[in-house]
Amino acid sequence: MKYDTIIIGGGLSGLVSGICCQKSGRKTAIISAGQSALHFWSGSFELLCRKGDREVIDRPLSLVDSLSGQHPYRKLGAERTAALLSRVAPLLAEAGINVAGSLERNHYRLTPLGFLKPAWLTLDDYFMLSDPEELKGKRYAIVNILSYLDFYPRFQAYGLGEHGARTVTADVNIPELDILRKSTTEMRATNISRFLTDAAVDRLAKAVNDASKGTDAVIMPAVLGMFSDGPVRRLRSQVERPVYFVATTPASVPGVRCQLALRDYFIRLGGTFMPGDTVVKGERERHRLRRVFTTNFGDMPLEADSFVISTGSFFGHGLVATLESIHEPALGLDLYAPEGREKWYDKDFYAAQPYMGYGVTTDAGFRPAIKGETIENLYATGALLAGFNALKEGSGAGITLATALHAADKITSAL
Amino acid sequence: MKNVNARKEYDVIVIGGGATGAGTARDCAMRGLSTILIERLDFTAGASGRNHGLLHSGARYAHTDPESAAECIRENIILKRVARHCVEETRGLFVTLPEDGLDYQNAFVDDCRRAGIDAELLEPAEAIRLEPAVNPDIIGAVKVPDGSIDPFRLVTANVLAAQLNGADVLTYHEVTGFVKDGTRICGVELKSRRNGERSTVYGKVVINACGIWGHHVAELAGVKIAMYPAKGSLLIFGHRVNHMVLNRCRKPGDADILVPGDTISVIGTTSTRIPFDEIDRMEVTTGEVDLLLREGVKLSPMLAWTRVLRAYAGVRPLVASDHDPSGRSISRGIVCLDHETRDGLSGFITITGGKLMTYRLMAQDATDMACRKLGVDRPCRTAEVPLPGSEPDARDEERKAHIIELSTEMKAAEGRHGSWTGKIAAGNDADDALVCECEQVSVAECNYAIEELHVNNLINLRRRTRLGMGTCQGELCACRGAGILERHHKCTKRALDDLASFMAERWHGMYPVCWGETLVEAQFTSWLYQGVCGLEKEPPRHEEEMNS
Repeated sequence: MKYDTIIIGGGLSGLVSGICCQKSGRKTAIISAGQSALHFWSGSFELLCRKGDREVIDRPLSLVDSLSGQHPYRKLGAERTAALLSRVAPLLAEAGINVAGSLERNHYRLTPLGFLKPAWLTLDDYFMLSDPEELKGKRYAIVNILSYLDFYPRFQAYGLGEHGARTVTADVNIPELDILRKSTTEMRATNISRFLTDAAVDRLAKAVNDASKGTDAVIMPAVLGMFSDGPVRRLRSQVERPVYFVATTPASVPGVRCQLALRDYFIRLGGTFMPGDTVVKGERERHRLRRVFTTNFGDMPLEADSFVISTGSFFGHGLVATLESIHEPALGLDLYAPEGREKWYDKDFYAAQPYMGYGVTTDAGFRPAIKGETIENLYATGALLAGFNALKEGSGAGITLATALHAADKITSAL
Repeated sequence: MKNVNARKEYDVIVIGGGATGAGTARDCAMRGLSTILIERLDFTAGASGRNHGLLHSGARYAHTDPESAAECIRENIILKRVARHCVEETRGLFVTLPEDGLDYQNAFVDDCRRAGIDAELLEPAEAIRLEPAVNPDIIGAVKVPDGSIDPFRLVTANVLAAQLNGADVLTYHEVTGFVKDGTRICGVELKSRRNGERSTVYGKVVINACGIWGHHVAELAGVKIAMYPAKGSLLIFGHRVNHMVLNRCRKPGDADILVPGDTISVIGTTSTRIPFDEIDRMEVTTGEVDLLLREGVKLSPMLAWTRVLRAYAGVRPLVASDHDPSGRSISRGIVCLDHETRDGLSGFITITGGKLMTYRLMAQDATDMACRKLGVDRPCRTAEVPLPGSEPDARDEERKAHIIELSTEMKAAEGRHGSWTGKIAAGNDADDALVCECEQVSVAECNYAIEELHVNNLINLRRRTRLGMGTCQGELCACRGAGILERHHKCTKRALDDLASFMAERWHGMYPVCWGETLVEAQFTSWLYQGVCGLEKEPPRHEEEMNS
């Protein structure tokens, strides 16, 4: 099988590259093993939220020049990064995902445990603030679904209370959910979302109205609308106060919705999405990758003129650690990852873990190498890249999106 | 903690909430002595919670120490009766590998039989049929009545039994000194680990049952016991590889026992002398992990591709003979010291040495000595009376008659609480919901543990219910558990701090084995707790220790 571009990895990065390639008229295939970091999404994308111990709010991109030379933002430069990232919100909107936020100034999101953390873009129906000062004197009803264990109203009430907000917490129930409780493992976000449609949403809205009397706004777990945002809009139209959602612990219903929306948009554009498949090796001709082989297609190669690899970090199995060493399993790309597993970790769970910074090394144009030889038609993007600690910096989504768009630009401009 | 009256004089103060201390408190209380059990941290926070969980048949010692072997098999038979809900009768194999040679096995079967251990020589093919996970290259095999025992359940049951017989219990109270009247001990000075408050408890006899920490406690009383801490490291595999306990049939050595327990298998141990300043912060080294894997794979080749879930280390209290000041002559047997005759300090007993297997016998020895001092003449009944949870259960017969099949979560709870499972009040569907899916722990079981089993924090809850011990290592259930604890304790700040500490504690056992899927899980957990949830650092002080 022959494509113009093959993208290895179907997470946020791969989908965004794929959409851009397909939009420019290239016949594109995405090979996806199935997991996506969106499945445990906070509802927010982060660009750069911390420098050292300091939280960054204003003009996060002004810090790009102070990052290390191997950092993806530094390779792109502040200007290019800004240009790439300014395309993100419109592109998401095309796919039906509406976000709010700006490159100039981070806002705050509310975490499931009640902390306020900086963020760049947040789903527009989520709880967000430009300044914690806005909380002073506000009255919120934090409304959970009875016996749903992955949302923490009391922690959030405590966190908001620290900033001067007043809160009430309540559990609500609707009869449609009783059937889920009959099984001990079914009261989970994605299951609940399947039951919260149509008349069930109307009943839920009524219960929320009753529970939130006398407050300014309602905070709820993001458990509505796995396949479309219809239930979210239906609920918001019937609740008498503004309703804002806060992330639950996994799985993330809006995360699944976004992943599906991007996938469907890619397919609508004519792209080929191959779910549940894994690249096991590639074949080169001189300095170009010619074809890849996958688990499902066996000895039938998938060929393309250009390739993107966006298989993620350890969690996405883009990197694999054995007892002795770390490798990139699909193509055997060169890595930054020292041997000797004692070097990989810090004993303090909350310290910057060295392994978080490991990944594929590239040239300035994000082209990786195999045994020192740069592959000219292959781009590496997203969490697979070396040179940054996405968790400590709060930079994962920004890097993922910027490098994905950059790779697509390189590929499509080479036409 | 309830029912503690500081001005009351107890007959016996037992220090140490491990198996020996809890067992001693139970024995004392059952003999009618007014008793208080005092623990510095939580039950099973020391060596009792950090071992193989092996119900020894005694075969391991049959050749080197026939006396210990005979002790073990007697206790083995007793525990299968009185602690049946803590025991799984897996049976065990002693297998001979080509590199070991058959010499040891030839004498081994006779040694076992002399000690009263039912050892049966098997053809290798028969052994492989019984235990398909065993190395197929074995050249000999002997079947013995080994089993597995859950030390968390065992200690909890002993504490419950002590309380049922009138004993008081104090956790998170550290002994900081002794109250003396001349050459007689008449009480202990305590400091709360939770709020720093100081208090005094009076008693006629004080029993030091603190394992290796007893060295320091004895020093506080002004007596010297030559103890040596020996660290033993172990690895937990992510699922149950073997059905039967697998032992190397050779002289006891490193990594020669693979024990199945609940849903996992444990390989161990190593043995290294460590200095006293390390006993509260033991680490499993890379070298130990490599050694345990290398040797473990010889017992069961499957271990080479089985996920390692966690590493941990316990510390054995080795006690030097009183007649050997050099400390070279180490006893692994039970040491029960009467400090009145030994040191001229009356009202003070130390019970140490021994093994988890012989905790009941150790408790009996210490209680016998306390009774003699108090002039009480009542027989020990701990070998006859079942522990709470192991009583005959009327429902057993009914179930047999009607072939009632329990759900997996009911089976899991029954495994943990035995015949006391009925106390878990599942009043409604919401309470049946699972908090920890790996270990099948429900909301109701958490509530029961928090209300009845001395649970202050998530680590306590883990020890009582196994919450967070499964393959995800607390990734999804720790938050839920924190939410439930918050509802009981009504202090959000404390619950958040506790959650942050709990995740740090889980990591402590993961980083020594952080490759493969364990690293994947660790990265996911970090993303979730630090990224999505925003937990950023461990609180400066936590009531629980940092230990694997």
